[in-house]
Amino acid sequence: MNRARDQILGTIRKSLADGEPRTTARLEELRSRIQNSRPQVQPEFDDELLARFCQKHVAVHGTYERISAKDIESAVVKHLASIGLDAQWHLGSGPVLDATQWTDKVFVYRKGADRDTKAALSEAVAAVAETGTLVMCSGPTVPPSQNYLPDDHLVVVDRRRIVRHMEDAWAILRESGATRGRAINLITGPSKTGDIEQTIQYGAHGPRRLHLLIVEDA
Amino acid sequence: MSVSTASHRVEFQDRAKQALQDVSLQRALAKARGGFVDHRQEAIDALPEFDAIRDAARDIKNHVLANLDGYLELYEQQVIENGGQVHWARDAEEACQIIAGICKDAQAKTVTKGKSMVSEEMHLNPVLEAAGMTVVETDLGEYIVQLAGETPSHIIAPAVHKTREQITDLFHEHHSPLGYTDRVTQREALVNEARSVLRERFVTADVGITGANFLVAETGANVIVTNEGNGDLTSCLPRVHIVTAGIEKIVPSLDDLAVLLRVLARSATGQEFSAYTSLYSGPRRPGDMEGPEAYHVVLLDNGRSRLLGGQYQAMLRCIRCGACLNHCPVYGSIGGHAYGWVYSGPMGSVLTPLLNGFDQSLDLPNACTLNGRCKEVCPVRIPLSDLLLKHRVEQHERRLSSGFGRFLLGAWAWLACRPRLYQGVMALPLRVMHMLGRRRGGLTWLPGVGGWTGSRDFPAPARRSFMRQWQSRKVRS
Amino acid sequence: MFVTCLADLMRPQVAFAAVALLERAGCRVRVPREQSCCGQPALNSGDRASTMNIAKGVIRAFSGDDYVVVPSGSCADTLINKYPDLFRHDVKWAGRAQDLADKTFELTTFLVEQLGVELEQVSYPGVCAYHDSCSGLRELAIHQQPRALLQQVEGLSLRELDDGSACCGFGGLFSVKYPDLSGRIVSDKCDQIAQTEADTVLGGDLGCLLNIAGRLRREGSDLKVFHVAEVLAGMTDGPAIGEAESEDTA
Repeated sequence: MNRARDQILGTIRKSLADGEPRTTARLEELRSRIQNSRPQVQPEFDDELLARFCQKHVAVHGTYERISAKDIESAVVKHLASIGLDAQWHLGSGPVLDATQWTDKVFVYRKGADRDTKAALSEAVAAVAETGTLVMCSGPTVPPSQNYLPDDHLVVVDRRRIVRHMEDAWAILRESGATRGRAINLITGPSKTGDIEQTIQYGAHGPRRLHLLIVEDA
Repeated sequence: MSVSTASHRVEFQDRAKQALQDVSLQRALAKARGGFVDHRQEAIDALPEFDAIRDAARDIKNHVLANLDGYLELYEQQVIENGGQVHWARDAEEACQIIAGICKDAQAKTVTKGKSMVSEEMHLNPVLEAAGMTVVETDLGEYIVQLAGETPSHIIAPAVHKTREQITDLFHEHHSPLGYTDRVTQREALVNEARSVLRERFVTADVGITGANFLVAETGANVIVTNEGNGDLTSCLPRVHIVTAGIEKIVPSLDDLAVLLRVLARSATGQEFSAYTSLYSGPRRPGDMEGPEAYHVVLLDNGRSRLLGGQYQAMLRCIRCGACLNHCPVYGSIGGHAYGWVYSGPMGSVLTPLLNGFDQSLDLPNACTLNGRCKEVCPVRIPLSDLLLKHRVEQHERRLSSGFGRFLLGAWAWLACRPRLYQGVMALPLRVMHMLGRRRGGLTWLPGVGGWTGSRDFPAPARRSFMRQWQSRKVRS
Repeated sequence: MFVTCLADLMRPQVAFAAVALLERAGCRVRVPREQSCCGQPALNSGDRASTMNIAKGVIRAFSGDDYVVVPSGSCADTLINKYPDLFRHDVKWAGRAQDLADKTFELTTFLVEQLGVELEQVSYPGVCAYHDSCSGLRELAIHQQPRALLQQVEGLSLRELDDGSACCGFGGLFSVKYPDLSGRIVSDKCDQIAQTEADTVLGGDLGCLLNIAGRLRREGSDLKVFHVAEVLAGMTDGPAIGEAESEDTA
């Protein structure tokens, strides 16, 4: 195995230059380019972040409502009822969700989703206005299966965490150490496929619907 | 060698001819063609910075390729730090052995797969199946193609060649034994049935194998871009996650990744951003309640390292978006299978001879009108049509092209260098063809121009060439 | 003027039209006898050596002229972009190839951008679809120039093709080596032309036009096909490309 590694790296070096191994200094140069990495050319837009985010989210077939933190439970219950579901869901974690008190009228499961999970409620670490994208990070209390197995995925977004560009989200993740976790999941609308006659059909393997609760006063 | 090249040539021509006569295929291709082109154009019209972002994307890729050994080492360090393992495979066979070994060690019975062109390049599935495993493709298009016993005909739309009627038949045949006895024909019902069948596979799989759109040196993550979410279910649920990727897939940082993501979906499907873009690094972390226990990356060379520093290096910038296929009139006419290997369209015509051997794919660089649209739409500005021309030069210089063709071309070129003689020699055939064609305006049959007249008239030439007429006009005046 | 081999052999009227347009615009037109073809068939077959031999002849033939005008986008592209590339490493010829490239122009580009011509009164009563040829469009950015000129033609209205930047399937020797493929592509192009409900197809490259005209004739279509120069010069009384000659002109 190491022979394969050495041979591949050797061929690369021979093709690129003189076949000499990279010096430590050169590796440090590349490492420092990574560490000092900056956003490059980005799409410019003047729209207000929340409006832009919502517009992009709706454009990819998502739905949303803007609520107060104290109304999270009732909003979830109402939304689930509107699609004929009981008041029970798999629950993720995050600053807003962790601060939410659940009444005994609802059942929440603090575990990963399974094949039959109907609904999950997660919290986004950040949301990107540029593309209407949610940024989710895995962790001990945040199982990524909740993003993909339920038919209905509900996501709480703290309005203050809506950022302009993707790179702004990276900055948040780097700062919080989330880049060291196993999974960073960027979600832009519900699951879909165009594999049959190149026509979009929603609900391929992941959630059929994606509903956001944008919390204005977290 | 001349025998094998001759036979390959016939193969491509035969496959192309078959494709042109395949009514279902033609219908499917006609349906797909306009959509990809229009959607991409709309997405690009909405992004004034698109060209600047393309330049940046090209520059990032060039920078990585010029420092590929260093970035591979940095990436490897990160993967190990995250608790994952990196395996290096010189060729397809070595990669298959490594992956089969990991699966056997994990005592895998069922293996789910996210879409991976590199695993197609390795012909991985038969190897795992021979080892007794059930391999399930989970991208809907790949799944359809797997049921049909075929290979993908498009790098991002594997089943683009299949009509809904054909998919209905396939599902009915393969899902009936699983209890889905109703014959479903509507798009939504077909998608739901596949969702239900594959859901079972996702949750019972022992090993998940995915490709990687990118590998991020900064964090050691592999990036998977899908719309269905199948790549994520394949990455998250099984006990073992194996990533297969070509060595050229590295990007230095997350900021570099952002640049490439901005051109990828727009070029591929005309979306601003795909539904799911995920970064996975290493196995589950201590304290995580789920996620794979083991994480392996298999880096495949398979001829790529040799391309560095040479005249085809730009091809390694390719991010497999499929835009060149979608804009290629030849691909649009015959689909992907006629190309004879996993990669098709312009990028396939450049790459296949480089990875599989020049003498194996002589037709591919020639079966192109050099219209240059592939080069125009490429998100990382690979000069695809120029690279195809380089192939032709190489074929000519290595004397791989047909002897008779070379003779004719040589004779013509000799004549073309002697204009006065040329003008004299051309006069007679001109007059004959003019006589034959003038009543209809064209010739319906003409020897020496191949099959041109099979589908078109050959417009009748002039009675006397311009140069002749010009000379007499000058004399008169 | 560089005539191009196709105009020379297949459709001399295109070259006469180009000469007429240039002369009316006040140019003195010289057509050196020492020209045949720009070398594209060899170039696109990967035969650089033969192409360079042909190119040297072309470079020599036009060494004394102020401008070289070419009634074809793809041949102009060869002189403008491909020759300098071919001789990039040739100390003796690199400069001469670049000199030729610098003074070479595709016909409509020359008329619009160098001369800024206003056409003498010319009319063509017809609805025309314009086919942008690939090399001209992508390598020389020829798109507005022919349209600007055609706007000055009385009675002419222009229709744009759906997906107008798609190739017609000609590709020079491609159409001979892969006739089925080429035939398929041109038939798609002809469908799109038919959708515009135009009665005439115009273009700036004879190769594409012969291909399209050949296919239209085979389909039994009565669409007329002309080179843009013929319309601009008012030379559209005779048979169109691929059309039968009437008895009296034969």
